Amino acid sequence: MKQHPLCSDCEDKITPIDLPIPAGLKKEWSACESRRQFLGRAGKVLGWASLATLFGEASLRHSVFASASDENDLKLPHFAPKAKRAIYLFMSGAPPQVDLFDYKPNLAAQFNADMPASVRGNQQLTGMTAGQARFPVAPAHWPFRQHGKTGTWISDLLPYTARMVDDLTFIKSLNTDAINHEPAIMLINTGNMNAGKPCLGAWLAYGLGSMNDNLPTFVVLQTKTNPKENNQPVSSRLWSSGFLSSEFAGVGLRSVGDPVLYLQDPAGVDRETRRKMLDAVEEINRQTLAEVGDPETNSRIAQYEMAFRMQSSVPELTDLSKEPQSTWDLYGPDAKQPGTFAYNCLLARRMAERGVRFTQIYKRGWDVHDNVVGNLPILCQETDQGCYALVTDLKRRGLLDDTLVIWAGEFGRTVYSQGGLSQENYGRDHHPRCFTAWMAGAGVRPAVAFGETDDYSYNVVKDPVHVRDFNATILHCLGIDHNRFTYEFQGLHQKLTSPVPAFVVQGILA
Amino acid sequence: MSAAAKLGDAGRVVLRRARRIPRVWVSTVCAAIVIAILPFLFPLDGKAHADWMQFLGRFHPLLVHLPIGFIVLLPLLEFAGMKRQSLRDAAGFVLWVAFASCVLAIVFGLLLAYGSGEIGSTVTGHMRGGIVLAIELLLLLVVRQSWLAGPQPRSFFILVTIVLVTLAWTAHHGGSLTHGSDYLTRYMPATLKRFVAPSAVSAHPHSFFARHVYTVLDTKCVACHGTNKEQGGLRLDSYESLMAGGKDGVVIAPRNPDGSLLLKKVTLPPNDPHFMPAEGRTPLTPEEIARIRAWVLAGASSDATSVPGIFIAEDQEEAPPPVGDYSGLMGEIRQMQQSQGAKLVSVSANPSDGLILRTTDAAASFDDAQLAKFQRFAPFIVEAELGRTAVTDAGVETLSQFTNLRALHLEDTAVSGRTLAKLSSLSQLSYLNLSGTKVTSEGIAIFKNKSSLRHLHLFNTPAEPVSTAESGDRSTQ
Repeated sequence: MKQHPLCSDCEDKITPIDLPIPAGLKKEWSACESRRQFLGRAGKVLGWASLATLFGEASLRHSVFASASDENDLKLPHFAPKAKRAIYLFMSGAPPQVDLFDYKPNLAAQFNADMPASVRGNQQLTGMTAGQARFPVAPAHWPFRQHGKTGTWISDLLPYTARMVDDLTFIKSLNTDAINHEPAIMLINTGNMNAGKPCLGAWLAYGLGSMNDNLPTFVVLQTKTNPKENNQPVSSRLWSSGFLSSEFAGVGLRSVGDPVLYLQDPAGVDRETRRKMLDAVEEINRQTLAEVGDPETNSRIAQYEMAFRMQSSVPELTDLSKEPQSTWDLYGPDAKQPGTFAYNCLLARRMAERGVRFTQIYKRGWDVHDNVVGNLPILCQETDQGCYALVTDLKRRGLLDDTLVIWAGEFGRTVYSQGGLSQENYGRDHHPRCFTAWMAGAGVRPAVAFGETDDYSYNVVKDPVHVRDFNATILHCLGIDHNRFTYEFQGLHQKLTSPVPAFVVQGILA
Repeated sequence: MSAAAKLGDAGRVVLRRARRIPRVWVSTVCAAIVIAILPFLFPLDGKAHADWMQFLGRFHPLLVHLPIGFIVLLPLLEFAGMKRQSLRDAAGFVLWVAFASCVLAIVFGLLLAYGSGEIGSTVTGHMRGGIVLAIELLLLLVVRQSWLAGPQPRSFFILVTIVLVTLAWTAHHGGSLTHGSDYLTRYMPATLKRFVAPSAVSAHPHSFFARHVYTVLDTKCVACHGTNKEQGGLRLDSYESLMAGGKDGVVIAPRNPDGSLLLKKVTLPPNDPHFMPAEGRTPLTPEEIARIRAWVLAGASSDATSVPGIFIAEDQEEAPPPVGDYSGLMGEIRQMQQSQGAKLVSVSANPSDGLILRTTDAAASFDDAQLAKFQRFAPFIVEAELGRTAVTDAGVETLSQFTNLRALHLEDTAVSGRTLAKLSSLSQLSYLNLSGTKVTSEGIAIFKNKSSLRHLHLFNTPAEPVSTAESGDRSTQ
């Protein structure tokens, strides 16, 4: 029987040389083939050479080939932790501290007055306001009131947050190096303005390992965007594992439709068939691993297995039908709609119960360059009750005793108005020198306001906290000494808090 | 027998000399009596007397160091005097000065105590020690004359030892008066501290009062307002006595820091005659005053664990005792970690921090029988995560053998609370989560008086219905 010339099952090896094609093409093919062979072999040699250095001693110690559960080998946590897990409410776009938390009663009298140049100092401005002729003071549009036993001043925009101030630890002197979103959001998440470094969640997943084999160690939840708001993009490099094995990267659950795509078995494929398929794929992957030695193959194997287990654990996680009425009373009606901030907060609580180590919820839209009066109430209304519900729910269920909740953006906003200032409206530009964040729960002392800013909420005057210090403090709450928590890469002992010295904020620790 | 005979010989020698110079003995006895009746002439009645007495009396702490120095020098000179006679001659002179300064110190001490109206067992003890010491020195002075010719007999050294012991005892009481009775033990390593009887601070050892108010009073105030002394009829060594106040009335007015005499006195200008702590003792730091003020403002409760607005960086919970050595079981523990299901994980890289029993992966299939298998690891388990498992009341009984258990999660289990009483033997249990179980207030009544249990969560149980749970948090109440 005559075989097709391109059939791979033929007995005699047919090369293009034997095919009825022009001689010039045959010549080019032979040159190409030898080059491909050369590069292929050379690549393998280089690969093995680099692998050999990888293997040196470090790779076996790290979880490249060992499973992530071998946490003892990393000698972590360094000391008995107060918090086992953390939930990070990330307010992307930078909330205006002066409208929400950093109460400056003296500003009202200075409405539309020029901000003293001495206060601004040598601060570089963004292109959006650098050209402004004047920098008129824009006081907060909403009144502040004292709340809780501490008498903490909170804007009327946050009535729910106001109810829990005695449980919160405010840091009013947070500051960062970058004035634009992308570098700033990378800096606070990964410790470096440039992409390629692992984020806080990936470090935690790598260092502390999983508490539940059926769910990811690090989950990212995105809140559905509101088209009325100025939504800065957030990208997966914010939850990337950088140079760590990719199994430590954040797993994003989708806000619309299935939380994880293609998690359901296709019609006609039952669980057993899926298992068999995965076993076969794993065998092939193991062969590849033995042949090529790429540690990422191991990550792939682990991810297939995790996906298989998530087929049953994720539907259970997102099934809110058994939540009692008290839950809905607390989280509000928004929580019934997937993708809202309140819904994500409820999921975060459910994941905390189920042993997810680190959950990060992104809420975009805080970039209020203009129309603060129009947009800020919407933003607060979208998030305020969810934050309160999460902390309160964790507290009443006894989870706040070993969970750390963090609320922060990437930087602050200016006290002077961007663009026109009127009694009715104003805008605020980016401001890296000071912004407010809060924490609650295990490891931090409640009812504390740490750090102070000047009368214009422009410069820190007491107890500055750099975002590196902020990250060092979070690691401390989870039992990690940030200086000893390193990973050898590119000849450096890389760490989350980067090479610049960082300090744990002792003043807020419990 | 021979020692007794020797002592008898020495006594006879003394007697013979005494007969030869009876006048020395007469005056010695008279002087001893005068010293001994001094306290009866000026009885410590708790009332302040003439100011000039206090003025002079305050030189007592200065004078008192003279006899101490001389007395310590005495045995040195005597020993050295065995080789060099001149030093032994000097010892006689030193002994005289020691005695004279000792009497002087007693007189000034009495002036101080009598003048200021200080009373208390430590004051009395210190005074009696001083008087006994003076009489011992007098005796030593007299008998030493008879031993000058030859080498010192053993009885001399016995006498010197007695003098030194009396000195140490008296000086310790004096030190306790000035620095507080726990001055020496405060920073003692915990291992040694166990041998010293712990002081009963409060019924609530974890309360804000016990940790941040009592500690300040204890270091800065109790030296004059405690068992040792009761200046102004005020004692600050317990919550009850603090709230009871002194001769000038109450010193703490709950929720009214400005109306609280104690806060008023410690915030006066330091040169004010009513400034406290008096007598140039270390004043309270601004942080300490702020803590007390916040505590008063919050209601001056004896058992509240936190006070709004106050954070204290050094407020670290006392490190829990290390669990034992379980390195022999490590192989098994690692094997468990590699497989699916319930496992033991270490709290930290430090093995003595103990193990956590983690059942998340086993969840509903983890039952009492499986829990029982962990009994052999029991003393090393400090936290048991049993939420949403099939553990029941029988499992709770097993848990009572987990002697080092600090945190116990039993939320959403079938535990009814019937056997919870068994857990009261767990001395370190500080966290207990019973949310979503069927426990009733009767079931948890056993924990009402368990002060170590700082976090008891009862959300969604008959003991704490949902409606009140939203605002309810027992951990800070």
